[in-house]
Amino acid sequence: MVDLALKSLVHDRLRFFITVAGVAFAVTLVFVQVGLFLGLLDNASVTIDHANADLWVTSRNTPNIDFSHTFTETRVDRVRSIPGVERADNLIIWFMQVNLPTGAQEGVEAYGLEDFSAWNIPWHLTDGTLDDLHRGDYMIVDQSAVKRWGPYQVGDYREVLGRRLQIIGRSKEALSFTTTPIAFIDYWLLQQISPDLLRGSTTYVLVKLAAGADTNSVRAEIARRLPYNDVYTKAEWAERSRHYWVASTGIGLNMYITVFLGCLVGVVVVAQTLYTSAMEHIREFGTVKAIGGNNGDIYMILGKQAAIAAVVGFVLGLLQSLPLRPVMANIGLKLIIPNIMLGWVFAGTVVLCLTAALVAFRKVASIDPALVFRT
Amino acid sequence: MITLAATDVVKSFSEGRQEIAVLHGVSLSVERGEIVALEGPSGSGKTTFLSILGCILTPTSGTVIIDGQRVDQLSAGRLAGVRKRSIGFVFQQYNLFPSLTARENVEYALNIKGMRGVAARNAAIQALEIVELGDRLDFLPRDLSGGQKQRVAIARAVASRPPILLADEPTANLDSQVGLQIMELFRNTAKQAEQGLVIVTHDPNVRRFADRVVRIRDGRLQ
Repeated sequence: MVDLALKSLVHDRLRFFITVAGVAFAVTLVFVQVGLFLGLLDNASVTIDHANADLWVTSRNTPNIDFSHTFTETRVDRVRSIPGVERADNLIIWFMQVNLPTGAQEGVEAYGLEDFSAWNIPWHLTDGTLDDLHRGDYMIVDQSAVKRWGPYQVGDYREVLGRRLQIIGRSKEALSFTTTPIAFIDYWLLQQISPDLLRGSTTYVLVKLAAGADTNSVRAEIARRLPYNDVYTKAEWAERSRHYWVASTGIGLNMYITVFLGCLVGVVVVAQTLYTSAMEHIREFGTVKAIGGNNGDIYMILGKQAAIAAVVGFVLGLLQSLPLRPVMANIGLKLIIPNIMLGWVFAGTVVLCLTAALVAFRKVASIDPALVFRT
Repeated sequence: MITLAATDVVKSFSEGRQEIAVLHGVSLSVERGEIVALEGPSGSGKTTFLSILGCILTPTSGTVIIDGQRVDQLSAGRLAGVRKRSIGFVFQQYNLFPSLTARENVEYALNIKGMRGVAARNAAIQALEIVELGDRLDFLPRDLSGGQKQRVAIARAVASRPPILLADEPTANLDSQVGLQIMELFRNTAKQAEQGLVIVTHDPNVRRFADRVVRIRDGRLQ
């Protein structure tokens, strides 16, 4: 079968390039915008995703992991006594002020645990040992703090709420949605640093279930014994933390608008180039009809051209987007393009391009084949 | 054996509130292997009549029978089917697909008519060899002369061996020498395949290749 659609498309290389460039631009826009959005959201729940906890006990109506509220730390004992709970520990997450050597003040989001290793927090340590945190006024700081705190070395001191702490290690990938640097400090030391607010209090209880324990029944029992707290599974808590930022800030809407505009640009470019191409080749379409072709044959040509533009444009858009990941990482941004997104964007690109082809088809379908006789 | 018969064909077009009649009861029949030249001045209605014979337009009234099938009241979709099966066109402007080679132009028409694969390719090559373009199979239309383009158009029209060939001023864009060669070729091809051929023309040279000359003026046959 002679492929008139493909031959005609590549015959006019400039127009083909413009069409494909339009699709590639739209695809890149969608990948970058959605990828950055997913990267930001990933920060919002990255600790929850990596921690070994099956259940999280929070104070009532805590909106996300960063905006924590205190409750009595002894409630952890009630959790520990529930059958099916293998381990339960208090976790404090608390914003504090750090005095920098420059004289400036910056924020830090302190994580306080008695046994960090047991909960896989932090999960990527590049310098230092977690067990050393118990041995003095120490902290481990995530390397992302360089952006806010400036350069620091292991062995340096920083003053947290007036108390000198030595940096004894460095972690990686422990980020917060608010971009406040994360530091890991011994639980008791953290309470001493801010005694007025934290003595005798915690902000979370992490729960690890025993093998074979039923999540729902343990959760229900915790909720029964701690009526003034909330209990979430790991997935629920991660989703709640992410959803807070989507719903309460403009980034969700911003992302949807950008994706919509990206799609619109792609559709308009493809529709316009296919339409003008169809108008320029109107006599050819008339000839197809005159030699016995029907509207189905015409749509096959236009649809195939749109599909080819979609596939080539998608591949080019993806090839443009993937190298942006290390570039974004260098400026501290995560560009996440999961496989499922590849599938959705590919399907969306093809569907939108085929829809764009309908604009040209409507025009071509109505042409009078008698135009082939006109000179 | 009559392959094409048009009886009392009337065609009028609406222009605003006015009905403008272009054809006033035109009748014509063509037998297999017969070559009919349709002559007339500009605006006489000959292209409209050719469009009706070619199932591109439907008449306002009258009957048209093609290869034994009455076609004057068929839907657009069914008319496309009749064009696919029974009619081959040759146009004044050739109307070749510029992105396809000579062979592909003929093969694509055969594909549209339902012939696929090697059969279509071989039939296309054979048709081009008949019109003496066996050495130009892979040439794009832009690399062919006007006469060669018209030969490709003829090959495209005859390749599927339709019972009826319709040609709209096939020599108008060619110099007289090439025009005569094309008509000679066209005539031989149609005669060999016993195809009824209707040629709309202004060219007096075409007349001598026709078995019969029909003149049309102001929408009436004379």
